Amino acid sequence: MLYLAIATNPDQTIDGEVLEAYRERLGLLESDFKALHPNTRFQFALYPWNRIEAAMQHRTGAGLGPDLLLVNGMTAIRLLEAGLSDPYPMTPEQAMDFEPAELDRLRDRHGRLAGLPVLLNTQLACFNSTRLQQAPRTMGELLTISAKGHPIGLSLNVYELIWSAGSLGALPALNQAATGQMPSKESLNGLERWLAWLQNANTYQRITFYPDQETTDREFQAGRLDWIPCQSTALNRLRSKLGSALAVAPLPSGEGGEASPLNQLRLFALGKNSSGAGRAQALAFANFSITPLSQRNLSLGSQTVLPANRFVGIPTNSSKTLAAMAVAAKQGQQVNTLTKQLHNNLDRVERTQSVINALVFSTQSPVAGGQELVRIFRGQR
Amino acid sequence: MKELSLEVLGWLGYLERPAVMLQLALIVAAVVLTRQMRRRRWLGRWPLLGYTPLGLGLLAALALLLQKLHQPHGLCALWTWLWLGWYSLQLLSQQLLRWLPQERVHQIETRLLRPGYLVMSALVMINELDNVQDVALAWLIQRAVGMSSSRRKALELMLRYAVVTLGLIAVAIHLGLNTTALIAVAGGLSVGLGFGIKEVFSNFVSGLWLLFEGSVRPGEVLMLDGDPCEVRKLGLRATLLWRDRDNAELLIPNQTFFTEMATTYTASDRMRRSQVSVGAAYHHDPESVIALLEATARQVNRVLPNPAPKALLLSYGDSAINYALRFWIANPMDNVTICSEVNQAIWHAFKREGIEIPFPQQVEYSMVWPPEQHLPNTGNH
Repeated sequence: MLYLAIATNPDQTIDGEVLEAYRERLGLLESDFKALHPNTRFQFALYPWNRIEAAMQHRTGAGLGPDLLLVNGMTAIRLLEAGLSDPYPMTPEQAMDFEPAELDRLRDRHGRLAGLPVLLNTQLACFNSTRLQQAPRTMGELLTISAKGHPIGLSLNVYELIWSAGSLGALPALNQAATGQMPSKESLNGLERWLAWLQNANTYQRITFYPDQETTDREFQAGRLDWIPCQSTALNRLRSKLGSALAVAPLPSGEGGEASPLNQLRLFALGKNSSGAGRAQALAFANFSITPLSQRNLSLGSQTVLPANRFVGIPTNSSKTLAAMAVAAKQGQQVNTLTKQLHNNLDRVERTQSVINALVFSTQSPVAGGQELVRIFRGQR
Repeated sequence: MKELSLEVLGWLGYLERPAVMLQLALIVAAVVLTRQMRRRRWLGRWPLLGYTPLGLGLLAALALLLQKLHQPHGLCALWTWLWLGWYSLQLLSQQLLRWLPQERVHQIETRLLRPGYLVMSALVMINELDNVQDVALAWLIQRAVGMSSSRRKALELMLRYAVVTLGLIAVAIHLGLNTTALIAVAGGLSVGLGFGIKEVFSNFVSGLWLLFEGSVRPGEVLMLDGDPCEVRKLGLRATLLWRDRDNAELLIPNQTFFTEMATTYTASDRMRRSQVSVGAAYHHDPESVIALLEATARQVNRVLPNPAPKALLLSYGDSAINYALRFWIANPMDNVTICSEVNQAIWHAFKREGIEIPFPQQVEYSMVWPPEQHLPNTGNH
């Protein structure tokens, strides 16, 4: 028996539908693995990533922790540092399959590897192709289509909004502040431009901010929205309701540059409580999941994730979805440093969220909001 | 049912883990030791009720020892708490004997307190073994029983009414109401059902049936007197429908849906095929008119591209060739407005292409009396 714990987006209510989606996705790997290890059985549980640490603390304390955890990079590092997972024993041959810089980001301060990268979830633009012929390619086009009567939905969640920071030129200021520097005047202008855009967007009649991504997805599914940013993992769920009307594209760029979607690299981390046989099975399954054939099957079969193995090609010509995801993967590299900074300090995320909320609801000006964000990212109270 | 059994059997896999086995062994040892001590009176005059605290103390000490040794100890700690709760029930019974007779206390203990505590303990244990919060188990149980959400709602309503009825009867009996009188009232009610409140009862049963069947659910679109109406609420007596045409809310008795035919556009999908009719003059080539009609429909935003719009030559009329343009729409509630958009688009397209929409014309002229003196085409009228 292989016990698996999977971290999910806290925005997403864990219900039967979500469970079924994960079961299907895991099934892609499971059936092939069972051909080699017929006696293996899987049991998995889902936890929102912001509560997984507490849950693992409790379960590991009772000896009932999972054998494998499918989590994002920063959660894996936090679990390793809290003694709730074991470092991953990656062989030099396996290490060749990944970018060395990427692996370095997955190491804790003692240099231990927090997990084995398996797949990449990306953030995309989802639109209703029966109403929109093509997705907006720039932030200007996004406003134009909304002015033409196409309703647009955005989640207020900072993780879901950070893509627009790249498009509007706020990333240099945030990156400088995150490394403790005072942003230059030019960078600060970019930051204020982003915040002003967010504030103005809420005044547009056809742009609506929703409290979380789940609500945004639900409105889109119901046909009340024509364009939303969406997670690639939600595509199957959206497609089940919208059918062929669902189309995807990369998120729009802007005067500040390319969009900066917050993609999530998912890793297999090793649990603490496994028996000898359980650990051997966990390692066998994790190693199997990064073989080129498994990675390709996982990506092509689901059409919602990209392979983590850098030597596995993505047939972008055959699928618009995969092509958009490949673009998003490239765009997302801009925020790797920032993501690490955000994840390492959850208090920082909460304070940033408060600033975004205050801005969108016009209780704070973009200038004051920009200064506040610089203070937060520089670690000042 | 198979999936639920597999999930429960999956918990046995934890027994492979040495840390779990060690904790279980310590728990069993502490319980057995306590029972032996009590049975053989190892401590001489020590009261019988005093042996359990010794066992509890021993188990708590073992849990602490495991914690000190950085070993999993949560199961030992949990069992200590559960055992303490069970022991507290014993103490509670002792206290109750002061106010209630022994037989009554025994009844309360065996029929209420202990079964209730056992159920609660089982739930706590299941929560420890599986993540109940992620509804995995609830979802599996729902799937095992094969109950849909509408049926669950129906069952919930029926249970609620059953509980209220039983409660009323219990209160009546407790107040000393004669059971013969109750039977007489029930007899009277059945006569009343036969005459006065037959309709109410019929609607009530129809409502429950519709809920079970799932044929009329909130969100469905039904045709009522030729108008599409959305089901807003399925009540026990009547169903609340919303009619888009005049924003009216209609309360339709449930038995209407039970006994009469109803047309729905949302049973398996929400698509509807719609149609507009138009006439074109005889001198226009029907093939080019059909092609123009289909192209026009394709350009209307809310007309679905798939299945493609289809124009047909229907008949040769008195003054025009009659055509029908059939197309599919995503939301049946939008039928009237989309038909209006299509009709407008046809008018513009016909005008642009010089296609005439003929209409019957009448020429009136006066006759000369007597008719024999009337000379046609001579200009004397």
